[in-house]
Amino acid sequence: MQEEDKTRRKVLIGLTSAVGLSGLPFAATPFIAAWNPSAKAKAAGAPVKLDVSKMQFGQQIQVAWRKQPVFIVRHTKSSLKSLDLVLPKLADPNSDQIEEPYRGLNLSRSKSPEYSVFSGVCTHLGCAPKYFPEVEPKPWDASWNGGFFCPCHGSMFDIVGRVFKGVPAPTNLIVPPHMFDGSILTIGEDKEL
Amino acid sequence: MTFLHKEIMNFYKIIFFIFFILFTYDLNSAAGGACKDYGDCDKFDYSLNDIESLQRGASTYINYCYGCHSLQYSRWGRVATDLQIPEDIFFENLVFDKSIKPGDLMTGAMPEDSANWFGVAPPDLTLVSRYKGDDWIYSYLRAYYEDSSKQYGVNNLVYPGTAMPNVLLALQGNQKLVCKDIPMIAANGGQKRDEYGNDILKKKCGFLEVEEGTGKLTKEEFDDLIYDLTNFLVYVGEPIKATRERLGWYVIFYFLIFTALSSLLYREFHKDYNK
Amino acid sequence: MSEIAGRLFSWVNDRLPIVNTFERHLSKHPVPSKVNFWYLFGALAAVTLIIQIVTGIWLIMPYSNTEEQAFSSIEYIMRDVDYGWVIRYMHTTGASLFFAVVYLHMFRGLLYGSYQKPKELVWIFGCTIYVAMMAEGFLGYVLPYGQMSYWGAQVIISLFGAIPYVGESLELWVRGDYYISGITVSRFFALHVVALPLVLIALVFLHLVALHEVGAGNPEGVDIEKYLDDDGIPLDSVPFFPYKVLNALVAIGVFGIVFSVIMFFFPEGGGYFIEMANFEKANPLVTPDHIAPVWYYAPFYTMLRAVPDPLGGLIVMAAAVAIFFIVPWLDNSKVASIRYKGIYSKVAITLFGVSFLTLGYLGTVGVTEIRKTMSVVCTIIYFAYFLLMPIYTKFETTKVVPERL
Repeated sequence: MQEEDKTRRKVLIGLTSAVGLSGLPFAATPFIAAWNPSAKAKAAGAPVKLDVSKMQFGQQIQVAWRKQPVFIVRHTKSSLKSLDLVLPKLADPNSDQIEEPYRGLNLSRSKSPEYSVFSGVCTHLGCAPKYFPEVEPKPWDASWNGGFFCPCHGSMFDIVGRVFKGVPAPTNLIVPPHMFDGSILTIGEDKEL
Repeated sequence: MTFLHKEIMNFYKIIFFIFFILFTYDLNSAAGGACKDYGDCDKFDYSLNDIESLQRGASTYINYCYGCHSLQYSRWGRVATDLQIPEDIFFENLVFDKSIKPGDLMTGAMPEDSANWFGVAPPDLTLVSRYKGDDWIYSYLRAYYEDSSKQYGVNNLVYPGTAMPNVLLALQGNQKLVCKDIPMIAANGGQKRDEYGNDILKKKCGFLEVEEGTGKLTKEEFDDLIYDLTNFLVYVGEPIKATRERLGWYVIFYFLIFTALSSLLYREFHKDYNK
Repeated sequence: MSEIAGRLFSWVNDRLPIVNTFERHLSKHPVPSKVNFWYLFGALAAVTLIIQIVTGIWLIMPYSNTEEQAFSSIEYIMRDVDYGWVIRYMHTTGASLFFAVVYLHMFRGLLYGSYQKPKELVWIFGCTIYVAMMAEGFLGYVLPYGQMSYWGAQVIISLFGAIPYVGESLELWVRGDYYISGITVSRFFALHVVALPLVLIALVFLHLVALHEVGAGNPEGVDIEKYLDDDGIPLDSVPFFPYKVLNALVAIGVFGIVFSVIMFFFPEGGGYFIEMANFEKANPLVTPDHIAPVWYYAPFYTMLRAVPDPLGGLIVMAAAVAIFFIVPWLDNSKVASIRYKGIYSKVAITLFGVSFLTLGYLGTVGVTEIRKTMSVVCTIIYFAYFLLMPIYTKFETTKVVPERL
C-alpha cells in the first residue's frame, strides 16, 4: 500500500469517527432531558399563594409546596427579642454555611420581619420537625426557649429554623424563595431575586 | 441488475402497465371527499412561524370557541410562551378566570351539566387538527349556510346536520346556497357556444354566497380570520411541529455528512480486496 | 494501571471466551466478499430493534396503562415531557421502518434463496421473528387507546371469535372484559414491553447463531466454503471488521436520512404510520367511518376480507404467514439465486411481489366491486407463488453457477 493511501485512510477514519461520535451527545439529549420534571410536574410545583394575615401571633402553619412541607411562623415581638438568648446554642446563627436568599435582612430570616418561612424538612435525614413554642423545660432540653424538635433523631432548631450545636442535623432549615404582597405570601417565587 | 434480462423486461412492462391502469382507474373511481357536499376540501397551508397569525387565531379561539370547546391537553402558560405573548398581557386579556395559573390545563369553561344543550357534548378540540385535518377545519368553518329546517337555522356543507350553531355568523354574515348560470365546458376544454357565438349557460346550484352587508367582515377578512383560527388549531394539535421541522434539517444534514464520509471510508477499504 | 487492567482482562478471558467470541463472531467472522445492497437490511433490522428497545424503555416511564389515562398519557408525552415527542416519534417511525426493513430482508431471502440447505433454520427463526413482530406491533398499536387502537383491536380479537366452539369464550378471555377495556390495555402492555421483547431478543440471538454456523449467502448463490486458503478461511470472503462494518455504516447513514425525513417531516406517514382516527380517544359506541390496519398488516387484512366467511378468512390469513415457514422445502431448484434460476421463477417472483404490494394497497382503502376482484386475484397469485414452487423450480432450465464469486 502506498504512503499516500495510508494518510488518506487515517484522515478518513479520523473524520468519520469524529462525526459519528459527535452525534452521540445529541442523540442522548432527548433521553436525558426526558427525565427532567415535566410541564405537569412543574405546574404541580408552581408557587403557592396564601393570605397570612389571619395567622395568630406565635402560630405555626404548614403548607405544601412541591409536595414538601413549608413552615410559616408568625412571631410575637417578645419571641423575636428572646432570639438572642439561644445564640450560644446555635451552630450557624448567620447561615454562613448554606446558600440563603435573604441573609442578614431580618431576624426572621425571611423577607418579612414578622413571619418566618422555611422548609419543614430536617436537614439530617428528611423527617418533619415539630413545633414546640412553649418556653419551658423539655425532655430534650432543660432550658428550652421555644423552637422545633425533630422526633426522628432529636435535632433541634430555634423558632426561625436555625440548627443547634451537637445535634445530627448539619445545617439550618432551608429558606425557599418567597415574596410578600401585602399580607399575600407567595412561596416558590421571588420577582426581586 | 443481472436478473432483469431482456427477455422478461417486456413482461415486466406489461405487468406494470396493467397495474398502472388499474390504480389510476381505482383512484378516479374512489371519489367522495372528506368534505362531503362541499366537494374537495379547500387546501390549507399552515404557517406556524407566523406568530401574529397564531396570536390572532388564539384570540379568536378563546373569544368564540373556548366557551364550549376545551383544549384539555394544552397548558395556558405554554400557549403564551410559544405564541410569544408576555404572560401578564396574556392573562390580562385572554384568561377570564382569574384563579387560573400558567401551568393549568385549558380544561374548558363549560359547567359540567351543560352537555345536553346541543344534544351532544361539544368535543375537546386539542387534537381536532390531527384527526380531522386542517383542510377540513378551514373548509368546515366557512361552509355554513342558512337552512331554516335546522334547529339553529343553519346547516353545513362539509358536515351536513352539524350540531354546532354558526358562532361566527355575526362576523361572516348570512351565507346562503344559491344557484348560478355557469358556462358549459365543451369536450375539447373550451367553452360551449351556440351558433351565434354566445356562451351556452347551465344552471348549477350549491354555491355559497354571503348576503352583502349582513356581516361585520368582508369575505376576505373572514377567510383570514378562519385562516388564523385554523393555524392556531394546527399549532395546538402539535405544539412542537415548528420545532420538529426546524430540527429535522439539522439531523438530515448530519446524516448526509455521515453517509458521505462513511462511504468514502468504505470505498477506501474496498480497494483491499477489489484489485 | 494498564498492567493491572491487562491482567484483570486475561483473568476474565481465561474463564470467559471474550476474545474468542469477539473474533469468531465479529472481528474475524468471514463474510462473502461480493454482496449487494440487499444484504444490508439484516444489519438495519438489528439497528432498528435497538432503537425500538431504547425508545420503548423510555416510553414506559411516562406512559399510563389505564383506560382513563392511556390516551392522555400519550399527549402528556407529546407535550409535557421534555423531548417526549422525539422519543415517541422515534418509536412510531421505528415501528414502521422495522417492518419495511424486515420485508425487504425477507424478499432478499426469496430472491437469492437464503433459505436453501443448510440455511433452513436461519430462515425458520427469521419467520418466527416476523410472526413475533406482527404480534408485537399489534399489541403496541392498542396502547395509545385511540379510536384506531380500539377498533383495530376489536377486529383482530373478533377473529378469535371465528374459531369454532371456543371462539366466543376465547374472545372474552383475551379481553378480560366485555369490551376492550383498561384490563385489556394493561395485559397488552405487559406483553408488549416484557414478554414479546424477550422472545424477540432470544429469537434474534438464535437467528444469528444459526447464521454464523452455516455462513452468510451471496447474490450469486456460490458456496464460498469450497475454496479455502491455508488457514481454512474461504478465499472469496473478507473479515467482518472492517469491511462489512463499514458497509453497514454507509447503510446506517442512508437509513438515518430516511428515518429523519419521516420522523421530522411526516411522522404520521400520511396517515399510514399513525392513523388520523387514532388522535381521537377510543369510543366503544362510535365506529370510525373507515377502519384500515396499519400499512404493514394491510396485505393480510386484504386476504382476510377477500374471503367471505370469517373462519375461512382467518385460515387464509394465517396460512399466508405460515407458508413462509415451509419455503425451504418448496424450492426444488438446484440453484439458489434468482440470477441463475429459469424464466418461470423470475416471472413468479415478480407476480408475487406485485400482488403483495397490491394487496397492501387494497388493505388501506375501502372496498369496491373491482377491488374485491383484484384482492381475490392477488390472493390466488400470492399462494400460487408458493404452492407451485415445487413444480416450476423443478422443470425450468437453470444456468450454471460459477465456482467462485
